[in-house]
Amino acid sequence: MNGRRIQSLSFGLVATLLTTGLLSVTPARADLRIVATIPDLAAVAKAVGGDNVTVEALASASEDPHYVDPRPSFLPRLARADVLIAVGLQLEIGWLPPLLINARNSAIQVGGAGYIDASTFVSHKLQVPTMQIDRSMGDVHPGGNPHFHNAPAPMIEVARGLGERFASLDAKHAAAYRARARAFAAQLQAVADKTSTRLAKLPASKRRVVVFHDSFRYLIQWLGLEQVTTIEERPGIRPSPARVAAVMGTMRAMAARVIIQEVWHLDGVSRMLAQKAPGKLVKITGGVTTLTGEAYLAYLESLASEIIDALQ
Amino acid sequence: MNLLSSILISSLCALLVVIPASLVPTRTAHAGEGDAVIDPPTIPAGIAQEDSPPTELSPEDLKAIEDALAADAATVPAPAPPPPPSPMASFFQSMNPNLSLILDVALAAFSSRDPDQRGAHDPVRSGFNLQQLELHVDASVDPFFRFDANIVFALFGVEVEEAFITSLGFPAGLQMRAGQFLTRFGRRNPTHPHSWNFLDQPLVLGKFFGGEGNRGLGVELSWLMPTPWYAELLVSSTEAGGDCCNRSYRGSLDAPLSGPEDLLYTFALKQFFPFGADVGLNWGLSLQLGPNATGAGNRTMIAGTDLYLRYKPTGATGRTSLDVTVEALFRSRSLPGRVLQDVGLFAEARWLIDLSWAISARHEWVGGLADDPLDPEWTGARNRTSLAFDFYPSHFGRFRLQLASDAMAWRSEPVFGAMLGFEVVTGEHGSHGF
Repeated sequence: MNGRRIQSLSFGLVATLLTTGLLSVTPARADLRIVATIPDLAAVAKAVGGDNVTVEALASASEDPHYVDPRPSFLPRLARADVLIAVGLQLEIGWLPPLLINARNSAIQVGGAGYIDASTFVSHKLQVPTMQIDRSMGDVHPGGNPHFHNAPAPMIEVARGLGERFASLDAKHAAAYRARARAFAAQLQAVADKTSTRLAKLPASKRRVVVFHDSFRYLIQWLGLEQVTTIEERPGIRPSPARVAAVMGTMRAMAARVIIQEVWHLDGVSRMLAQKAPGKLVKITGGVTTLTGEAYLAYLESLASEIIDALQ
Repeated sequence: MNLLSSILISSLCALLVVIPASLVPTRTAHAGEGDAVIDPPTIPAGIAQEDSPPTELSPEDLKAIEDALAADAATVPAPAPPPPPSPMASFFQSMNPNLSLILDVALAAFSSRDPDQRGAHDPVRSGFNLQQLELHVDASVDPFFRFDANIVFALFGVEVEEAFITSLGFPAGLQMRAGQFLTRFGRRNPTHPHSWNFLDQPLVLGKFFGGEGNRGLGVELSWLMPTPWYAELLVSSTEAGGDCCNRSYRGSLDAPLSGPEDLLYTFALKQFFPFGADVGLNWGLSLQLGPNATGAGNRTMIAGTDLYLRYKPTGATGRTSLDVTVEALFRSRSLPGRVLQDVGLFAEARWLIDLSWAISARHEWVGGLADDPLDPEWTGARNRTSLAFDFYPSHFGRFRLQLASDAMAWRSEPVFGAMLGFEVVTGEHGSHGF
C-alpha cells in the first residue's frame, strides 16, 4: 500500500469519525453534572444539589490533593461536566491545568460559568502571606492556606456559595438549591456547636497539638486547639534530624501530647515522636469516601472525636 | 539565531520579570501624617503685661503639669490598629504570562572521545554540559485560546522549541493547536528533556527524528472521542524540514514546497484504560507520512506504538509509584531504486521510592542498515543500557546520577558513560501530565 493511499484512507477515517461524533451530540439534561477535585467538595455539592445533581470527585480521600495523578480517564468526565468545583489557592496547580485544557469544555474553564473556585467563598482565609514569599520558604501557597475543607465554618460559606452558583446555573431549581444550602449550613453549624460543648471542659493545657504538614489550621481553629509546632520545618521539605529533635523538645516543654498528620505522609518520624515524647499519633484521611452530605457531617464529627479522644 | 536576537529576547524576558515587581504597591510611612498641628500658646488680647502670669514655674506648678499629663496619657485611646493586609497585595494579580525557568546541567565522563549522543540537549562530551535553560511561558489569550511557549537557551544560541496556541472550547470534543510544536507522535516525543527519566534522548528518536525530536510549524486538530474511556484521535500537518527535527523527511533540503504533499502528516490514536484506582495503561498508535530529501516524490513513513503502565497505590504513604514505558518505531524510506526499513525501540521502568528518591532503568535497541545515506556508520544494532538514581531535595530540584553502557555493532568496544546532572525549576508552579 503506497503512501498516497494510506493518506487518503486516513483522511477518510478521520472525516467519518468526525461526522459520527458531531451527530452523536446528546440533548440537554435537566440535572447538573458536577465534578469536584476533592471528595469533601463533592459531598457538600451533593448536599446542596440533592437529586438535581450528579457528583464525582477526581481525587480520592487517601490521596494527597497536591499530587493527584491527572489520569486521562478524568477527561471524559470533565468534558461532559456542567460544573467543576476546585478548592483553589493553588492546591491543584500541579495537576488540574492540563486536564482543564484537554477537556475542551469551555463551561468549566477558569472564568467560565461552570468553574467554581471554592476558596472565593471563604471570607477568613488563614495564613495569607503579608510579606514577599518565595520557594526558600518551602512549597507555600501564595494566596493562603487552602485546607479549609475539614472545618465547619468555612464549609458553611462554601455551601451557601454553591447554593447561589447552582441557582444561577439552573434557575428552574434555584429555590431548592438555596433551601438545601441553608439547611446544610444549619447542620454544619450544629456539628460545630456540638463539638464546642464537648471541648468546653478541656483545659487549655490539654489542647496543644503538633502537626506534620501545616494543613490543619482551620481544623485547629474550629476545635480551639493550639498548634505548638510543625514537624516539617518548611512545607514540602522533609524534616532534618535537628528539626525532629527540636520538635521533641517542644512537645515535652509544652506538654503537647497529640500529633496530627494525613494518611499519605510517611509516618516513621511521627511514630517515633509519639513514642519518645511521648504522645499519640492521629492519622486522618483527606476526606469522605461516600459523596453525600450525611457522610461529610459524619466525617467531621468522627474527625473531631478522634482528636478530642486523643487529647483527653 | 544571531547574538542581537539573543540579547533582544533575553532583555524582553528580563523586563517581563522586572515590570510586575515594580508595580507592587508599597507603602511608606510619613512622619507626622495625621498628627494635629499644635500652635504655640498666645497671650489673649486684652491682658495687660502687668497681669500676665509669671514666666518661671514653681515646683508645685511642675508637679501639677506632670500629673495632668499623666492623667491625659491614661485616657488617650490606643492608636487604631493598622488595617489587615489585603490578600491581593501578596497574591499579586497580573495580566503578564506565567513564567518559569528550568535549568539542566550535567557533568559527564565517557570512555570515548565521541560517545555519539544523539540528543541535541544530551551531555555530549566529558566535562560540564549545559543541557538547556528553558523558559516556559503560558497565559490565556482570551476565553477561546491559550498560549504556550518554550524558549531554550544554550551557551551559544536561543531556539524557539515551541510556541503555539490551543483552543479551549471548540465543540464536539475538538481542539486545535497551531504554531511551532512537538508533534504528538508516541509518548516521549511530545515531552521536554526536563521531564524525562534519563538525561539523554532515546536513541531511536534521535536517529529517526533528530536531536530536538519531531517538531515543526503547523496545525493540529484533535478529537476527544465520546467514549466512556479516554480515546483521542489527532492529525497534524507540519513543516517537514530541519535536520534537528525531521531528518528522515526533508531534513536539510532547502527547496520550496511544491504543494501539500511536501508537508509532514502525523496521525495518532491515544487511549487510556484504568484498572482500578491504582493502575492505568496508556496505549498509543502513531503514523507519520512525509517527503524525504532524496527527491522524485520519495517519501518516508514512520509508524510507532507506545505503552505506558503506571502503578500508584493511592492508599500508600510517601507517594510511591512504578512506571513502565515501552515504545517501538518502524521506519520505511523510499530512496531511488530501493526501500530502506529499520526498527528501534526502548523500554524503561521507574520506581519512585518516596518523595525524595527514584531509580530508573532503560534498555534501547536500534537496528542499523548497510549503506544508509543518513547514518552511514550505523551498520548494525546498537544496544544501550542505562541506570539512573534520582534525589529530590524538594519538589523543585533534582540530582541525577546516570550510568550507561552503549554497545555499537560497528565499534569494537562499548562506550561507558557516567553523568551527574542537576535540574532546578523556578517561577510559577508548573503542572504535569500523566
